[in-house]
Amino acid sequence: MVTPATRAALQARLDAPAREPQFFEPETYALLQAVAARLIPQSDRAQPIDIVGGIDERLTEGKADGWRYDAMPPDREAYRLGLGGINQAAEALFQQPFVGLPEAQQDAVLEAVAAGTAPGANWQQLPIARFFEEMLAELTENYYAHPLAQEEIGYVGMADVPGWPHIQPGQLEAREPEEVK
Amino acid sequence: MPDEEVLEEGVLNPVKPEIQDPLLQAILEENGTPATAPTGEEQPNPLPNPTDIVDCVVIGTGAGGAPLLARLAMAGLKVVALEAGPRHDARKDYATDEKAQAFLFWNDERLSAGQNPVAFGRNNSGTGVGGSTLHYTAYTPRAHRGDLKLHTEFGQGVDWPFGIEELEPYYEELEHFMGISGPTPYPWDPSRRKGYPLAPLPLNGAALLMQKACAQLGIQTSPAANAALSARYYQEGIGWREACTNRGFCQAGCNVGAKASMDVTFLPLAEAHGAEIRADAFVTEIERDAQGRITGVVYEQYGQTVRQRCKNLFLCAGAVETPRLLLLNELALTSGQVGKHFMAHPGVQVWGTFPEDIRPYKGIPGGLISEDTHRPKDADFAGGYLLQSIGVMPVTFASQMARGRKLWGPALRDYMRSYNHIAGINILGDCLPHASNFLELSDEKDARGLPKPRLHFTAQENEQRMNRHAEKLMRRIWEAAGATDIWAFERYAHVIGTARMGKSGDDAVVNPDGRAFDVPNLYICDNSVFPSALSVNPALTIMALSLRTADKFLASLR
Repeated sequence: MVTPATRAALQARLDAPAREPQFFEPETYALLQAVAARLIPQSDRAQPIDIVGGIDERLTEGKADGWRYDAMPPDREAYRLGLGGINQAAEALFQQPFVGLPEAQQDAVLEAVAAGTAPGANWQQLPIARFFEEMLAELTENYYAHPLAQEEIGYVGMADVPGWPHIQPGQLEAREPEEVK
Repeated sequence: MPDEEVLEEGVLNPVKPEIQDPLLQAILEENGTPATAPTGEEQPNPLPNPTDIVDCVVIGTGAGGAPLLARLAMAGLKVVALEAGPRHDARKDYATDEKAQAFLFWNDERLSAGQNPVAFGRNNSGTGVGGSTLHYTAYTPRAHRGDLKLHTEFGQGVDWPFGIEELEPYYEELEHFMGISGPTPYPWDPSRRKGYPLAPLPLNGAALLMQKACAQLGIQTSPAANAALSARYYQEGIGWREACTNRGFCQAGCNVGAKASMDVTFLPLAEAHGAEIRADAFVTEIERDAQGRITGVVYEQYGQTVRQRCKNLFLCAGAVETPRLLLLNELALTSGQVGKHFMAHPGVQVWGTFPEDIRPYKGIPGGLISEDTHRPKDADFAGGYLLQSIGVMPVTFASQMARGRKLWGPALRDYMRSYNHIAGINILGDCLPHASNFLELSDEKDARGLPKPRLHFTAQENEQRMNRHAEKLMRRIWEAAGATDIWAFERYAHVIGTARMGKSGDDAVVNPDGRAFDVPNLYICDNSVFPSALSVNPALTIMALSLRTADKFLASLR
């Protein structure tokens, strides 16, 4: 069904051990985890997919995806400033750091960040809307790159060794799950 | 030429790589091991014998470099291609996994400025033996006669220095050499001398939905021309290539050999005729003699600095790296046009959710085309666009959706659960050159110590009007097709311009043959020389220019 190269890529992601942060300080990492848990909530999973470890790994290695908004500082600085800004907004709105807030208030903070209205000195140095977009896109990519998230949306394109002779709407191969909803 | 540092007698070298960012220095020291040579292969000679002067060095092995490499080798010239990226065996190395395939893209950071900053990386860049063709969608429509005469037709933009008749013989040759699958006759150009060698590829869900809705609205459609095989095909220089398996993964690399990327077409042909391709070879310097003629290039490979002398240089590194190399080396700059007139195709996408089970991961992504919008009757803009159905891989789709819709929380996961019911259409539209859209070298240095390129792009009035026209039409089509939850994603694809071709060295970098006005033995061939963007995907035209450039060069030797 899948080629050895495909299997290797997916298996490595399935088996990835929990990451000890190397780039982020433990506190900042916990903040990023708390933000990620609201942006892509996984309370339905006994074992949530790790979508922040990849960010720490990428920033540790200094890797990029080929481009950056010129208005944004380099990625490492952007994450530091942005996460700091989220905490500043949490303090300003609810007088507590983000991780200590109940979920509804955490969501209110993130709504303010998404809308570009969040208070906080850091947003003077960081375009708030671009930061939110970049962070959301990276978390989303990390989530949907995971085999379990791909299963969740009914994606089985990785099982392509036999080819896909039937491609019209409603035409399924035996290995394609019928519906995911 | 100001401020050059003479490093060696007779060799001018303005490049001064350095790393300023202390953080970056630290990273480099930690992770500083350079790419290692593939095992089992001979290590390259670190310092080639300076008497080894090849006829031609070609920088880049994509759509611009590969066809001319083969042509020059077949003419009996001694040619060496330098490719910044690695060589892969697609059958063995490619995974059907978007993240694992990230090595196909040019991942060094480019800075995107302007009101509509253009995404690079997987959007429109490539690296590796085969260049961006390793991940192009294989969509290969020909340019139209009018695309090359925009100024004549509209009084805006610029004309190409020659007409479509100069490209047509090469289009024919390419379509047959690579085995392009497409409709014959072609509905929007029925008088072509030669049809496509293979029947069109089968239509997937998005294509069939678009076909039905367009028929209702009186818009003509057709299965599109795609450089992927609808049947086995004999490839000169490589043998039989297998037919497409509808894997839908063209944009992250074909592991079947069905897609006509350069690594399974022109590059093996070139090697069969004696061309040498050096992978992982990142060119930093272009050396000249006191008369300004190029004498050779210097590149980094596996931690070594290597020089290759040459009689002629073909720069085919794409519309970012080509002008970057010219600017870094202060080469061919007298027209003032290097880096200028950067263009990007308007590529608005419209997505919708359907009751049908579509499976957007199956089938050639760009299955269906309409060119009824090439010159729309009700247009309030110059030029035109094509319409295309699109399949999409899940991570790419999720990422764009997050950027475009900003859905998060349960709404994001709920929406993504309808992935199998989502289909899209998009446009590929002409873009006018504009003085405020350009490439420059920034002060920020990359890991090699070279300045990162900064690209300014703002969609001007013409592009904005085209976007509005197209979005309105695509929404109508998707409503007619029965879609709900329709949304549009404004985007810009393909990097074009930055070293334009023209009739005079006063306002162009290369002449109509692709030769630099300033440097007699420098040719440039890639999308950077396009004077205007065209209303079609650029790959086929880049290849046509590549063959034409080779023929013009070979004719000049006689």
